[in-house]
Amino acid sequence: MTIDILFIWTAFKEILKALPTTLFLTILPLFAGFLIGLAVALIRIYKVKYLSGVANGYVSFFRGTPIIMHIMLIYFGLPLLIDQISAKFDWGFQSNSIPISLFVLTALSLSAGAYLSEIFRSGIISVSNGQMEAAYSIGMNTFQAMTRIVLPQAMAQSIPNFTNIFIGFLHTSSIAFIVSQKEITGAANIVASTNLKFLESFIAAGFIYWGLTIMAEGLSFFIEKKATAYNRGGLQ
Amino acid sequence: MGKSFDPSLIVNFVPTLIHYLGVTLQILAASVSLGMILGITAAILRVFRIPILNQFVILYISFIRGTPILIQLFLVFYGLPAILLFINIDISRMEALYFVIITYALSNGAHFAEIFRGAIKAVDHGQTEAAYSVGMNNGQSFRRIVLPQAIRIAFPNIANAIIGSLKDTSLAFTIGVMDMMGRGETLIAATAHGLEVYLSLSIIYYAVVLLFEKIFRLYENRINRHQAVNVSAAG
Repeated sequence: MTIDILFIWTAFKEILKALPTTLFLTILPLFAGFLIGLAVALIRIYKVKYLSGVANGYVSFFRGTPIIMHIMLIYFGLPLLIDQISAKFDWGFQSNSIPISLFVLTALSLSAGAYLSEIFRSGIISVSNGQMEAAYSIGMNTFQAMTRIVLPQAMAQSIPNFTNIFIGFLHTSSIAFIVSQKEITGAANIVASTNLKFLESFIAAGFIYWGLTIMAEGLSFFIEKKATAYNRGGLQ
Repeated sequence: MGKSFDPSLIVNFVPTLIHYLGVTLQILAASVSLGMILGITAAILRVFRIPILNQFVILYISFIRGTPILIQLFLVFYGLPAILLFINIDISRMEALYFVIITYALSNGAHFAEIFRGAIKAVDHGQTEAAYSVGMNNGQSFRRIVLPQAIRIAFPNIANAIIGSLKDTSLAFTIGVMDMMGRGETLIAATAHGLEVYLSLSIIYYAVVLLFEKIFRLYENRINRHQAVNVSAAG
């Protein structure tokens, strides 16, 4: 077994075609997770009756089990549930007409929601209480104070954490290949097994992920500088 | 798929699968210990800026943090035999388990290195100066003063990284390791009850993660016990 350096480039071009799928499987769950995470974080901070218990359980379970479990549970469980409901109400709808990517997206969104809610929570808690009091003192209500004063600061402070989550989920999307999604890892696997050049294909895939990660880090550094411009630390 | 959901099967599956928890924990223990050695070495090379090796470590950490663990697993699985063949060592028949341990050790090493580097930098420089002033040399001050404090600072992050690594071991089955996930796959092949198998696996992983969190929290309280005094004195 020798390494065919030239084939890495061929594989690279072939695998790069799967980049949109990977980005799709990364960005969409993060958007959905953003909304879930924000709602869950607020529920937990304000200790909403009944709901906060559910929210605690949700975050704890999803952070305490591997993400591949979430994908598999949704992938195996949701079709059963849908078919049962469909049979009960006579919809004549079959779960196997649903594309697998939808199950993957659902599972990744739920995982993203759990991880992001912890980031929101720490971000919101890190904003000093004086900010809230100051907002009240000029006549804002809780909703206004939250959306105009606390959340923007919490978000700005959470940018490094968001980047880590983005990179984490970019890498996690590779698990989707196990349920035969054709994203970067899946495409690499296909290129590898059709040409019997496993090492070269996965090197190419590795370079794509590495490049994406470095770009994401660079972008985050730039955004962070802009977003936290208001905060000059100890300097006055 | 296709069979109806039968919750009573979970009661049967959990004991079967838990037999293979040992393999998972074995991967974890081996990769964390090797990763610890690798991580401390890499962190020291970074902190003291040893020429060439420093750049090499930067590249290593960037690569590990820049690629999914699944890709790393495949690269080691297919790449390591190819590289070792150049120096006439044939490991193509080595058990998949060892490839997994090597991959996770490399991965843990990079993460630990970053954590330790941050922790060493977080120790106040006055500590080193104080150590010099009582006559310690470079090595003594690092080993006796800086490192113990750095480990205390690093501990919560190390604990998180270990728990993350435990969850990552669930991917080892992709190269054919018979751990809990691998056994789960064979159970699905035999019984076609996918959902029940994954529910059982989730229960086991969740229980182990909760247990680890509990142990780490107790240990963290223990190594921080002298800190509480400072806090109350300051307040």
